[in-house]
Amino acid sequence: MKIKIATSLVLSLMITAAQADVIVGNPMAQTGPIPDLVAPMVQAVDMAAEHVNAQGGMFAAGEKFTIARADSQCDPVAAVDAVTKLVNVSMVTAIVGPVCSGATIAQAESVSIPAGVVTLSVSASSPMITDMESGTDLVFRTAASDAYQGVALAELALAKGIKDIAVSYANDDYNAAIAGVFAKAYADLGGTITSNQAHEPNKASYRAEVATLGASSDNLALFAYYGSGGITIMRNALETGAFSTFLGADGMLAQEVIDQIGAENLGNATFTTSTSDQTASGFTAWKALADASGVPAAGPFVPNSYDATFLIALAIEKAGSADRSLIAEALRSVANAPGEVILPGEFAKAKSILAAGGEIHYAGAAGPQDFDANGDVAGYFSANVVKNGAWDGAIIK
Amino acid sequence: MWQTFGFEFVNFYFIPGLVVGCIYALGAIGITLTFSILRFANFAHGEVMMIGAYFTWTAMTLAKNSFGLSIHPLFAAIPAIALAIGLFIFVDRYFYKPFRSAPTIRVVMASFGMMLVIRSFVQSVWGPNQLTFVPGIARPNETVKSFTNSFDIMILMPNKHFWIIAGTIMIMMALSWLLTKTKIGKGMRAVSDSPELAKVSGIDVEVIIQATWMVGGFCAVAAGVFLAMDLQMLETTMGFRMLLPMFAAAILGGIGRPFGAVIGGLVIGLAEELSVYPWFGNGPLLSPGYKTGVAFAIMIVMLVLRPSGLFKGRLF
Amino acid sequence: MDMLIGYSLYGISLLTVGGIYAILALGLNIQWGYAGLFNAGIAGFAAVGAYTFALLSTATNPYHFGGLGLPLPLAILAAMVLSGCIAFLIGLVCIRLRSDYLAIATIGIAEIIKLCLKNETDLTNGPRGINKIPRPWEHLGEERFYTSFPMSWIKDAAGWENFFGQLPNWWWQPFFCGSILLLVYTIYLLLEKAQLSPWGRMMTAIRENEGAAHAAGKHVTRRRIEAFVIGAMVMGLAGAMLSQHLKLIDPTNTFDPSKMTFLVWVMLIAGGSGNNKGAIFGAFLVWTIWSASEIFINSGLNVFGQLISDMDISLLKTRAGYLRMVVIGLLLQYILQKYPNGIIPESRPTSAGN
Repeated sequence: MKIKIATSLVLSLMITAAQADVIVGNPMAQTGPIPDLVAPMVQAVDMAAEHVNAQGGMFAAGEKFTIARADSQCDPVAAVDAVTKLVNVSMVTAIVGPVCSGATIAQAESVSIPAGVVTLSVSASSPMITDMESGTDLVFRTAASDAYQGVALAELALAKGIKDIAVSYANDDYNAAIAGVFAKAYADLGGTITSNQAHEPNKASYRAEVATLGASSDNLALFAYYGSGGITIMRNALETGAFSTFLGADGMLAQEVIDQIGAENLGNATFTTSTSDQTASGFTAWKALADASGVPAAGPFVPNSYDATFLIALAIEKAGSADRSLIAEALRSVANAPGEVILPGEFAKAKSILAAGGEIHYAGAAGPQDFDANGDVAGYFSANVVKNGAWDGAIIK
Repeated sequence: MWQTFGFEFVNFYFIPGLVVGCIYALGAIGITLTFSILRFANFAHGEVMMIGAYFTWTAMTLAKNSFGLSIHPLFAAIPAIALAIGLFIFVDRYFYKPFRSAPTIRVVMASFGMMLVIRSFVQSVWGPNQLTFVPGIARPNETVKSFTNSFDIMILMPNKHFWIIAGTIMIMMALSWLLTKTKIGKGMRAVSDSPELAKVSGIDVEVIIQATWMVGGFCAVAAGVFLAMDLQMLETTMGFRMLLPMFAAAILGGIGRPFGAVIGGLVIGLAEELSVYPWFGNGPLLSPGYKTGVAFAIMIVMLVLRPSGLFKGRLF
Repeated sequence: MDMLIGYSLYGISLLTVGGIYAILALGLNIQWGYAGLFNAGIAGFAAVGAYTFALLSTATNPYHFGGLGLPLPLAILAAMVLSGCIAFLIGLVCIRLRSDYLAIATIGIAEIIKLCLKNETDLTNGPRGINKIPRPWEHLGEERFYTSFPMSWIKDAAGWENFFGQLPNWWWQPFFCGSILLLVYTIYLLLEKAQLSPWGRMMTAIRENEGAAHAAGKHVTRRRIEAFVIGAMVMGLAGAMLSQHLKLIDPTNTFDPSKMTFLVWVMLIAGGSGNNKGAIFGAFLVWTIWSASEIFINSGLNVFGQLISDMDISLLKTRAGYLRMVVIGLLLQYILQKYPNGIIPESRPTSAGN
């Protein structure tokens, strides 16, 4: 009986591996500390794959573009294990994901760079990724480095006339990094950081932290994931009235924050996120597609996830085969100028241009997505405030 | 004096510490009882807290969706308590009982396995996302604010904190009656002191164990619901991250001493919040990044200096 | 052919990580299996080892302290020594605590160690972690190694570049895996020897009946501290090997107690505590279940979806990670109940020492 089950599982494994034609690995932190942020990102990845397959699939033969997903848990151990499986067992052409910077760096250095597989991260924003590689050109990302967003946020704060601010950041890889950049940029630009404290994520109460920070300033720069303490801090701060103004980054930008805290309490909260120039055609095209599929168009890193998947599909199409070694060069070619502009969802158009030997230039949902020498993108940022019970963004940089 | 020192201290450090302490205390009661009667550290305790809060949320949502009633969480907790106790007894019957006479380590491992199973079960059924328990912001109670203000000691306390503190006091009183006045409570204390002696004197240990799960389950769900009321949301790791401070509280109070566990819980809760009070100068005494470490440090010091806890608990 | 290489490389990676866990399980076996010390802070000792190795062996870099660039064996040795020193200090204070109490104290200590690694940002780069940790064998292909002695003595830089360029990009994987398995085997041999030595017999005596051992004039506390320290050194070694495998370590996620502490306990208890073979077997078995279950559950769901085509499995798929944990948890319960003394139970050495 046991042997029977085992053989049928092994057989099923072979079936799944054989039937898929172009396989892209997608390690996502579906479990782990931020599953709620990741769920819409996963939807966006699947949506991109659907668009590719609905518009003729890969190559002339119309092969299926398949996503092989694995759970990277935001954890280097799990990410390395998951990507090892994707690279060696699922034989993926490229990697889209993982979510967290630590997991991305670990899997890249440990598995995918040695194996010569391209990683296109959807949301890793740590400045450490910029100078990670030596000599290879295999790690790209569709999310802008914190080095940019932290500065953008600091400029925004001063433009709003906020001269002094208290900083509280969750002690995890993402929030600690962006808080560091913000604090430095803000002080360099002439603002005063009255207090800069880490807090431990996932505590039941932050009232003491909030009170101590609140004694020094009325303005709070909050860097946290909404799902692991961010909402609790906001709530504790509002309950005690310790702060009047809130600033923050991607991790806090979610409909859940509004649903839980209430739009009427968030009048003075502004959170930035990387976005595309929303008047530009890229975002408009993306928003129409996302709304049609019920995916939150402006959710943190959701457009970036779509872009990453779509770009990889374009790159593989450009390369003309699922050969791993061709992807990096093709990726630069489809993402950067020159070429005819391709908007999110326009796979059939891109396919026909590429088939005719033309050049394309993808204008992404989350920004232009032109990779620099380090595989980074510059990114636009939007400042989001609550309007009519939802986040409403305006371009700042 | 009050304006410069007391107002901030009481409202922003002391009362929050007390509230968190109450939640730790209720959780620690179950842990200390299991520890002394079944003789193992139950790692699944936090998960029962969590699943109790999820049951409560489900009851509230069902009532709202099918009858249009918005019921108070404490009312919705009643069916949740029954379900959580049922779960405890089920788990005990099929996963802990086989190890009654085996070395403790095996049942500790089993409870660790149950912790994974229960949490993953909740994550697959309810999903890993946060659920809103009570939306909005709990502002301080105006009556209390103006009443205390007339004595120049303004107390800022939202209603949810009154519920939590009053609920904890009531559960404590009920527990005190149960343990000292009823036959089953006396039996529990007897088994805790010496299982062999209790057995010889005709106490049915299995019945006592079931009673322990009931009391522990009741307190765990109460703690879970209070935690959810305070956070106003639910998520699947909320039980686990309370677990270690609750162990610390149980040890601090002395194993097998439910009232010790309550004191331990309050001490741990207060110590965590007060550790970031700006005792000297303007900055917090301890970087808030180290806040979690406070409970552990107290626990280790206690274990080393006085392993029987503040109230002379059992030593194994 | 590619497929065959792929499956073998995955097999090698299972053996690599399984081997690292086997080292951890052996370390725990010294503490629990030999001396009956309930250490629930394995993650802490592994973290000390991993961070020591990483800080000493990486190249200089602006994110964290040092990057002293020491030779790898020296850094591994330092990782073991520091882990042992910390265990010694903990042992002096905590060793007299009884089983569950020691467990809870060590959990607390491990959490405090992690908090320090996380908050002392200047030293450790805080939660962002340390990357570019050199991995044995693979590191030979790094410029800073092949341009320095003794490699530079054999060939010049261009020669080495040429040499490594010819090898397939996974050439180092079997070597790294082999080194880890060799370490597992060496530790195994040493421990087997120790178990039969007077020291090992004394440990068993203390574990089984402390009073009697004490009455027989054995220095109980000292022996227990010895076991605690040796076990922690082995765990520090495993931490160093883990950091080499991952190439990036961070305090929060890498040293998560459920994966670094409790999983090791599961391995030891399922495999058979007190028996080194059991510890090693348990480590490989549990890690294989842990890792391969993801592939099987995903493809199982696919097959399920194909059989019942009108059912939407997308929800099930997004929750597959959690279903996997439910299955692993239940499997653990099954093993615990089915094999009361572990799959390979402890065999007591007789007086003849066979």
